[in-house]
Amino acid sequence: MTGKKKGKLTKVLDYLKHDDPFSKGVAFCPGCSLELLIRFIPQVLGNDIVITGTPSCSAPVLLGQNNQSWHSLSYFGTLMTGAAANATGLARYYRKAGIDNTVICFNGDGTAADIGFGNLAGAAERNEPFIYICYDNEGYMNTGIQKSATTPFGASTTTTPFGSASKGKNLRRMNLALKMAMHKIPYTATATMSDLGDLAKKLLKAKEAKERGFAFLHVFAPCPTGWGYAPENTIEVCRRAVKTNYFPLWEAENGKIRMTKTVKKPKPVSTYTELIKKFAHLNEADLQILQDDVDYEYCMLGGLSVLEAECQLPVSTED
Amino acid sequence: MNTKIKAKAKAGSQIKVITGNAAAAIGAKLARPDVVAAYPITPQTEIIEQISKFHADGEMDCELITVEGENSAMNAVMAASLAGGRVFTATSSWGLVFMYDAVLATAGARAPVVMVNVNRETPGIIAVSSGQQDMISTRDAGWIFLIAENCQEIIDLVIQAYRLAEDYDIQVPVMVHYDGFYLSYLSEVVDVPVQEDVDKFLAVLKDQPERTKLIPGGKLGCGSHGILDGYLELRYKHVSAMERSKAKFEQTDKEFQEIFGRGYGGLIEEYRMDDADVVLVGSGSMCGTIKTVIDKKRDAGVKVGLLKIRMYRPFPSEVMVKALKGKKAIGVVDRSLCFGFKGGPIYTELKAFETQLDGSKMISFIDGIANTDITIANVEQMIDATCDLAEGKDVREVTWVSYPEAQEPDSEKMGGR
Ligand SMILES: Cc1ncc(C[n+]2csc(CCOP(=O)(O)OP(=O)(O)O)c2C)c(N)n1
Ligand code: SF4
Repeated sequence: MTGKKKGKLTKVLDYLKHDDPFSKGVAFCPGCSLELLIRFIPQVLGNDIVITGTPSCSAPVLLGQNNQSWHSLSYFGTLMTGAAANATGLARYYRKAGIDNTVICFNGDGTAADIGFGNLAGAAERNEPFIYICYDNEGYMNTGIQKSATTPFGASTTTTPFGSASKGKNLRRMNLALKMAMHKIPYTATATMSDLGDLAKKLLKAKEAKERGFAFLHVFAPCPTGWGYAPENTIEVCRRAVKTNYFPLWEAENGKIRMTKTVKKPKPVSTYTELIKKFAHLNEADLQILQDDVDYEYCMLGGLSVLEAECQLPVSTED
Repeated sequence: MNTKIKAKAKAGSQIKVITGNAAAAIGAKLARPDVVAAYPITPQTEIIEQISKFHADGEMDCELITVEGENSAMNAVMAASLAGGRVFTATSSWGLVFMYDAVLATAGARAPVVMVNVNRETPGIIAVSSGQQDMISTRDAGWIFLIAENCQEIIDLVIQAYRLAEDYDIQVPVMVHYDGFYLSYLSEVVDVPVQEDVDKFLAVLKDQPERTKLIPGGKLGCGSHGILDGYLELRYKHVSAMERSKAKFEQTDKEFQEIFGRGYGGLIEEYRMDDADVVLVGSGSMCGTIKTVIDKKRDAGVKVGLLKIRMYRPFPSEVMVKALKGKKAIGVVDRSLCFGFKGGPIYTELKAFETQLDGSKMISFIDGIANTDITIANVEQMIDATCDLAEGKDVREVTWVSYPEAQEPDSEKMGGR
């Protein structure tokens, strides 16, 4: 975004201070929220980030083939199992060598909430100095839309298919961001693509927080191909997820939770699910279970934010 | 174990009585790594305890990452190494297995990681005991494997490993193996090198072209999808670097000798091999015992020698063939198994070169599994059997020395489980 004209821009574009390092056409499905996210991050944070990525839907674009690449960022293709540990190694060496750095460990929910959760938690416990971003498309999309820990109740995936004896995933989703906030890391936040100004602010806060340690961003990232909605609806899906409190926007500094957007009159979750085919088989009673879960999670969040304000976390004597 | 320590220290170096694990920790400290990440496991734990203490006492200026598991240890040091750092980690058995995917990725990325693996039996049966099965189970991961015989060799090999791993022409990770329990906890006299000498020995690396490094804003990627020709090219280059490491190791051993006053002969050590008719091939701590028995047998007029493997990957076939060619009989001692081949893994590999040995006959000994001691009596038995083979007697191809009940595995005879 160099050479942009001053004064004529909306607020979000003001955050885009750096070039888009990606080539114009990249190998995502049309309407994939991942493309918007992955282009957005370096435009906000700069092109001198080092980004790590795993096998996932981000891999074809992030990791390139042989000696060819879709972008000009420094990147490291990691294993799903050890992504946070790879980022740890990079950040620690840069610190030792006195090299200014912003390491971004960029992973799907499959890595963050499932196979790589152990080392994500380990990095948080050790307060490692980098930013972990989980883009959450609620499943393993790259391998063909299988269930993950963040797949919500009722969603039909290829390993929790809807059928005569199944209503899709019969388990609730993991609240990954809340889990990470409970580590009392310097910064945790949720974000999504319908609220790009909020996302940009949170990226910048994460960058600032990683000077003090671990920063975690949980980005709700809908997938038209895997969820079954029209590609042009991606932003609308994000918007409704926020407006129903299905995906509330909040942040936590050292575990202290604060809503960054409060929805005055939350819409029923059905106004969100109605856009998406993976929920199409759910009847009213099923939807009520999902609604109850959304209400419960939101209530927990509110309760925790009150508790956190009342209870004082002991401050480390270091730094 | 140590048979011929010269208790005379080089000026400035220190003679200490320390365990194998302490030797590994001090070796790592002397190499001045930037990043160390490790996770405890018997019999390796003492290494990371010692390193943590060095770090806590301000004697070791590294980033110490107390990871939540071995998988993260390897991933962290791999990445730090690709970023440009000197790194160290250590593990054993279950830990090595738990980091296996990252062990492969480290090799594929040609990250010059140095790791100590304290040999122990692998999971399956919960054996908290020595054996080389962990090493064998990872032998084709694409790492250079070195094996130490005693505590002195442990410290020396850890230092030498950096010259191999980080050499501009090599850039392959190196694993230094030594026998758990037998060496990890054994205290021996060790001539601990002086820091300045180690700095001097490693300084050569600084004069080389800088290796490619993953740095912020460097517009450089690592770990793209290797496909078709791209993948083939990388694999071929990896194989070639491994081949180059053979000569490089011999060269660095010579340079090591010039500075530290002791050398080991490179890829293999030949003990009383010149006029030997009969040879045992071994590796690691068993070689100390074998040398002692050989001396005894020599006194009794038996022309027996030892070929000790120091570099196990890449397999040092050329020097082994040269050393073994024309010997009447060879007994290979393995501390691990190789399913389907009946004989031990190293025996099986050496068999591939049998036609180049000008008629040498070979037999396999399996011993030292799960802490069964390779005793003097066991070694005598092996030498006697190999002598019998040399004389043309009928000798069983495979002998489980400490388990006489074992016949050559025969499914029909053994029946059921
Ligand atoms: C250890 C391991 N197991 C399985 C796979 C196969 N695999 C490749 S991508 C993927 C799913 C990734 O899911 P997620 O992280 O959520 O990213 P997404 O594909 O949804 O973008 C899996 C399971 C793998 N690469 N590594
Ligand atoms: S499958 Fe979904 S997440 Fe993957 S590229 Fe397509 S739209 Fe994006």
